Amino acid sequence: MKIDLTTRIKTLTLKNPITVASGTFGTTDEYAGYVDYKKLGAIITKTITVKPRAGNPMPRICETAAGMLNAIGLQNKGLEDFLEHKIPYFKKLGVPLIVSIAGETTEEFAKLAKAFEGQRDVVNALEINLSCPNVEAGGVNFMKKQERILEAVKAVHDGTRLLTFAKLSPELGDVLAIAEQILKQGVDGLSVINTLRGMAVNIGSRRSKLAKDFGGLSGPAIKPVALRYVYQVKKEFQVPVIASGGISSVKDALEFLIVGADLLAVGTANFVEPAATREILNGIEAFCRRERLKSLDELRGSYKPAEEKGSGCKS
Amino acid sequence: MTVKKFDEKVSLLENRKINGKYYKMIFSSAMLSKNVRPGQFLQVRINEGQDPYLRRPFSYYRVMGQRIEVLYEVLGYGTQVLCQKKKGEVLKVMGPLGKGFSGAIGKKKRILVAGGVGVPPLVFLAEKYSTDYLLIGTKSKAELLPKSELKKVRAKVLCSTEDGSYGTEGRVTLLLEKILKDRHPEEFFIQTCGPKPMMEAVIALACKYGVEGEASWDESMACGVGACLGCMVKTKTGLKRACADGPVFSFEDLDL
Repeated sequence: MKIDLTTRIKTLTLKNPITVASGTFGTTDEYAGYVDYKKLGAIITKTITVKPRAGNPMPRICETAAGMLNAIGLQNKGLEDFLEHKIPYFKKLGVPLIVSIAGETTEEFAKLAKAFEGQRDVVNALEINLSCPNVEAGGVNFMKKQERILEAVKAVHDGTRLLTFAKLSPELGDVLAIAEQILKQGVDGLSVINTLRGMAVNIGSRRSKLAKDFGGLSGPAIKPVALRYVYQVKKEFQVPVIASGGISSVKDALEFLIVGADLLAVGTANFVEPAATREILNGIEAFCRRERLKSLDELRGSYKPAEEKGSGCKS
Repeated sequence: MTVKKFDEKVSLLENRKINGKYYKMIFSSAMLSKNVRPGQFLQVRINEGQDPYLRRPFSYYRVMGQRIEVLYEVLGYGTQVLCQKKKGEVLKVMGPLGKGFSGAIGKKKRILVAGGVGVPPLVFLAEKYSTDYLLIGTKSKAELLPKSELKKVRAKVLCSTEDGSYGTEGRVTLLLEKILKDRHPEEFFIQTCGPKPMMEAVIALACKYGVEGEASWDESMACGVGACLGCMVKTKTGLKRACADGPVFSFEDLDL
């Protein structure tokens, strides 16, 4: 029996809900030797900024219990390079593409939106990175000012007909309150969650194990937090949600689907198991077969809340 | 055309301590042993599950047919767990990764300068390509590789120990400078791997005498395939990924 994994988000139809979290899948073909990209529902790119960014000094990464801290600092070659050298790769590949963007100013967000509006034959959606914890000017610190977040979101939404997802982190404050404001700007969905800020100290040198004091925590360690936010956001707003935060196994993926996630972005797990996306996809199919589900829609949002025994949270 | 890359489950044939410093693990794999260059590395998933979470990179020590040997030091949590593994236990391993050392160096005399975890890949290089000198620096005699491990190396092997318990007393760069002094720099090609201060001193000497060479310059890695940008190295042609563009870089390219 063929299981229908088709995932529809407004105007976008994907063959399955599996994608990769921004920044965890390289720039173009880094994982092509391990995974058939064409099997993915969509690809989310590493965050693109208007100008090239060198990123932070080394060390940028450090392992923690069931996860890692990173302070990469949005290293990328900038918009122009992406359009010239990376877009042709994705055009040829033909897999739905979600481009992650971050600006240091509202004008930069607008510029990025406009640039990708011109690439609608290759790009299907934009993910607005509002919460990369490693960038002083464009990340959490600047973005803590809610006003500017809303301006940025509005600028992107107004600048393109592409679907837009705002990526949130609990670092921004009250996620539900911010989500509500952001959705009022007209974005199509939310991406929940980005990394959580953390710290690791070398007890010998008394210094950070990273070149910065803090880094973004990712991996299985943050999964329960991510799951809770995806559930809450989905329950509260019933908008399309790209779930990310520690999804590393088929069980994780199923949990996120049950609380209502539309897309599942596998992140740090790619570093550990390059074939993680494939394993998760196969596992979801096997689960559906075992549970005699014909389509993923029978599973998605089937969570039974503690307070409403037996009823489900599906809208 | 995408080149298929390998991630295989291997069964340990051997995993034991060979002296005060090194452990040796051996496994067999048709895919992971294909077209390996000294200086390339493997990404080893030490445990299924999440403890430790990330893979660990290890350089190839020796490849004979399908048999792969890895020498490692216990330096942290991952290797503490790894060294407890018994014969028959299974690891997931990716490889060969990265760009290795140059094999062909024209008519130049090859000088290898090794320390610590840098010794295994350079012994591999010396076994595979004609080499004139293999210089090994350690803190003391107890840390030197057992002589039996060096018997296939046809180069002149010179050792230095910081405490003088074996070979020349002092740093390995003393040995290097003795060779380079009063000779024509174009005669030599240096390849080095080891602790960063050692490699920095080697590169400084190479610079002083105008000798070309390569260093294996790594940083902490997460993915090992060039995706995460965690292990960047400053070069004169921009930031490069140690795992995918390196770990071997020419002295000329490194921007220290």
